[in-house]
Amino acid sequence: MNILQCDNVSRGYGGGDVLSRISFSVDQGEVIGLLGRNGAGKTTLIRLVMGMLAPREGTVRVFGLEPRANAVAVKRRIGYVAEAQELPPFLKVHEVVGMYRQLFPGWDEDMADDLIRKFELPSDRKIKDLSRGQARQVALMCAVSYRPELLILDEPAGGLDPAARRQFLETSIRLLNETGTTILFSSHYMGDVERMASRLIMIHDHQKWIDSELDDIREGYSLALVPAADLADGEQLLSLPSCLCARRHGEVFHAVYELEPEACCQAVRQALGIANIQCRRLGLEEMFIELAGRE
Amino acid sequence: MIFYVDPGSGVPIFRQLVDQVKLSIASGVLQPGDELPSIRSLSVPLGVNPMTISKAYNLLVHDEILERRPGKSLVVAELGQGEIEDRRLEQLRETLRPALAQVRQLEIDPDEALALFGELLAENDTDQGKD
Repeated sequence: MNILQCDNVSRGYGGGDVLSRISFSVDQGEVIGLLGRNGAGKTTLIRLVMGMLAPREGTVRVFGLEPRANAVAVKRRIGYVAEAQELPPFLKVHEVVGMYRQLFPGWDEDMADDLIRKFELPSDRKIKDLSRGQARQVALMCAVSYRPELLILDEPAGGLDPAARRQFLETSIRLLNETGTTILFSSHYMGDVERMASRLIMIHDHQKWIDSELDDIREGYSLALVPAADLADGEQLLSLPSCLCARRHGEVFHAVYELEPEACCQAVRQALGIANIQCRRLGLEEMFIELAGRE
Repeated sequence: MIFYVDPGSGVPIFRQLVDQVKLSIASGVLQPGDELPSIRSLSVPLGVNPMTISKAYNLLVHDEILERRPGKSLVVAELGQGEIEDRRLEQLRETLRPALAQVRQLEIDPDEALALFGELLAENDTDQGKD
């Protein structure tokens, strides 16, 4: 079942585009890790999906509906934790829970109680008096306790200590297990991305750069290290099909290929006639840095 | 058996799980007929997407290392003694494969590499003799 569909979506603020012609669709039960550098447009994309922004061009459909024209119907089925605090600061935790209970017919009291206990949230304290981590936990507890069909987390790990981050992760997995919820989350913690995501979408230079199953990325890409002395310039590496990027790091060129290491070594050796190269798999963090890192 | 995952290791998580089950069977920690934990019960404490665990289990079923019993969760498949022996060797084969790639990359003479392996075995025997 299709949950989310973006077709040729562009959006900018004032001048140029933040996002340019982004297309992808998400099926039920997928867990999408949204990657990109700060300012790449991850939050803009999430806000477009939430109907908080309108696309300049293209269409967004959530559950087959246009999210701005059907704001209430769509938002009732989405759980959303924003990067910045958006809960009413002067309400107490139990009052926020009461508000959500009213707004969402599917509110699961047992789940909410269970999470309040697990996160050790002080029910009688006002949101503004909570730590940043606690406030995010309240936001998460509220976002999941009506068992949404789509859970959207914008930088869920931001400002959380490792233990609280782990609780975020476990809560999301619980929802995945019990409700079959589809999840879209942005994160800079590659370990969390690797644990959670079934598929990655990477945004770079305003465009969708990578959109692939996580395991295909993990097994289908390699890093080739080629001595700079053996090359005229990086263009030679880039000219091979399946090369994603090539950059010089001192005396060595780093190039990422959409090939397994052995095939990669063979391809580069054959094309360039250079024997002295090394190819290996690369971890997600390393890949992110190679692709989006140094310009 | 106790599963663990290391997201930064360079090996995809589903493969880490497959390898751990194989290793546990080869070393006798898991015996034929032993039941594997359910996907749900494993995914939360491991902090891993349940689909990843499902993928690992499906691969093991496909390779006839695990089997589905009606009404029960997954169990370790029955094996002949010969197969257990094969599996131990297969496990070692997988461990040695990356070393082989390095032998090629560093252009080390195969005889030298074999001699080194023999040396390491002998060293290890001596170490264990001391205990």
